[in-house]
Amino acid sequence: MTLASVAWALFLANVRATLQYRLNVVIWFVVGIAFQLTSFFFLWALLARFRAVGGWTLEEIAFLYGIRLVGHGLTVFVFGGFQIVEWNVREGYFDRYLTWPVPPVLTVLTWWRPSSAGDLFGGLVLLAAAIRIAPVDLSPIGALYLVLAIAGAALVEAAFRFAFAALSFRFLRTSGLMFFVDTVFNTFGNLPLRIFGLGAEAALTFAIPVAFIAYFPASVLLGRTSELAVPPAIAYGAPLAGAVLFGLAYLLWRHELPRYQSSGS
Amino acid sequence: MSAALFSTAWQMARLEMQTFLSWRLNLGLQVLGMLARVYFVSAVWTAVYAGRAEVDGVPLETLIAYLTLANIHVWVIYPQTLDVLPPRIRSGAIALDLARPIGLLPQLVARSVGGIAGLTAIVIGLLPIAFLVGSLRWPASAEAGALYLVSVVLAYAITLAIGIVLGLIAFWTLETNGIGLLYYFVNLFFAGALVPLWAMPDWVQKIAELLPFQTQAYLPISIYFGRLAGTEALRALGIQAVWLALMWSLAVLVWRRAIHRVVVQGG
Repeated sequence: MTLASVAWALFLANVRATLQYRLNVVIWFVVGIAFQLTSFFFLWALLARFRAVGGWTLEEIAFLYGIRLVGHGLTVFVFGGFQIVEWNVREGYFDRYLTWPVPPVLTVLTWWRPSSAGDLFGGLVLLAAAIRIAPVDLSPIGALYLVLAIAGAALVEAAFRFAFAALSFRFLRTSGLMFFVDTVFNTFGNLPLRIFGLGAEAALTFAIPVAFIAYFPASVLLGRTSELAVPPAIAYGAPLAGAVLFGLAYLLWRHELPRYQSSGS
Repeated sequence: MSAALFSTAWQMARLEMQTFLSWRLNLGLQVLGMLARVYFVSAVWTAVYAGRAEVDGVPLETLIAYLTLANIHVWVIYPQTLDVLPPRIRSGAIALDLARPIGLLPQLVARSVGGIAGLTAIVIGLLPIAFLVGSLRWPASAEAGALYLVSVVLAYAITLAIGIVLGLIAFWTLETNGIGLLYYFVNLFFAGALVPLWAMPDWVQKIAELLPFQTQAYLPISIYFGRLAGTEALRALGIQAVWLALMWSLAVLVWRRAIHRVVVQGG
């Protein structure tokens, strides 16, 4: 069997196992949508009356939100397995990952949870609607940039999950940090960062790179780069950030994997 | 309840409070998350006000104080039983609970009250930080403060019943994680922790007024700031009392059915 077919078989087994609990799948699907859309309802309730936040209209914010949500949906859909590495390492179950004839990281990626489909679905609906109503640059180059930006958005978030998974070989517990970074992405990632003030904007660009997920790409496609606090070139290069960070996370994983100690017995 | 039974309940409450305080890291992160939300909501509303002195007759300062308090509310007044009960039902530990000398519902109440006692101590220490991140202020009057306290107790009593109803669902489904998360987000919105009910679009406000979530943050805090005063404040307490009666009736009803579904794993 080839590598791909083994990974595919593992993935299908995971999907089959999940689908055994049908009601649960439905509930998690709804939760995935509800979780991501609560703050959109918040913005919608505000903008229905006030028209703009920080100079951005509801349509423009919906576009930014859509990029971030599709990126996030892809992260949890494709890279959702990173989040269970910590538990598997602590309990010693990671042993199993080492026995299969595929690299451990591929086995990790075959894990799947139904809420991720909800995230992705909610994101695609929102983005499709936003593209119709917001003044988005949809020239062939603009469209290509959008696709790259979404891939980049997914990779930025995935890089953090990957890195925390890698660090769990050493620290055993990283879910607290993961939860914190996730909260920051979910809370601040969906809005034009300029409304949070310069200090917060700098922190959300360089300390936790939230800006590269949706704020910079949306600014580029909406022709708003002139109002950014960084040179436009950085905003145009946003899709690269995800690839670079993900590469670094992979190196970290390679470096930390040998530290895995089975919990014995 | 006899003295011995009361002391059993008291011991359970104390244990729960100690357990609660021992999860420090988890707690610290929850606090950080809550403060981040206060900062976020405040910043967004400041941008929306865009320099206007007031909107709907509410100055920005008051609104931010409202939102700060509201976010503390939805964090503290959480139906904890929802998370406590399902693992015990799944593992069969529920058999142990049922064998105790006091009924399951009083046990759940004792546990929750212990948990909230631990949390309240932390919240009081946290108020200065919340003040710096968002804003806080004293109640509109001594009367408003007193009515607010009554309203908070009602809000918590309603939450207890909601937690029991949602937790008992696990007797049928064995798992309620999804339901818990869903509750959290629906409550966040309809309790008025992101947008106060008066600032919601009309038809959304009408829906919010028909739901129990307004009892969790919007009503008590409106009393606190004197936005609901006099007969309006009493009417708000009346709405809470109605929800209290409804939710506890539902809790008892669900419990009577759930007891017939007890399946204990293993021998």
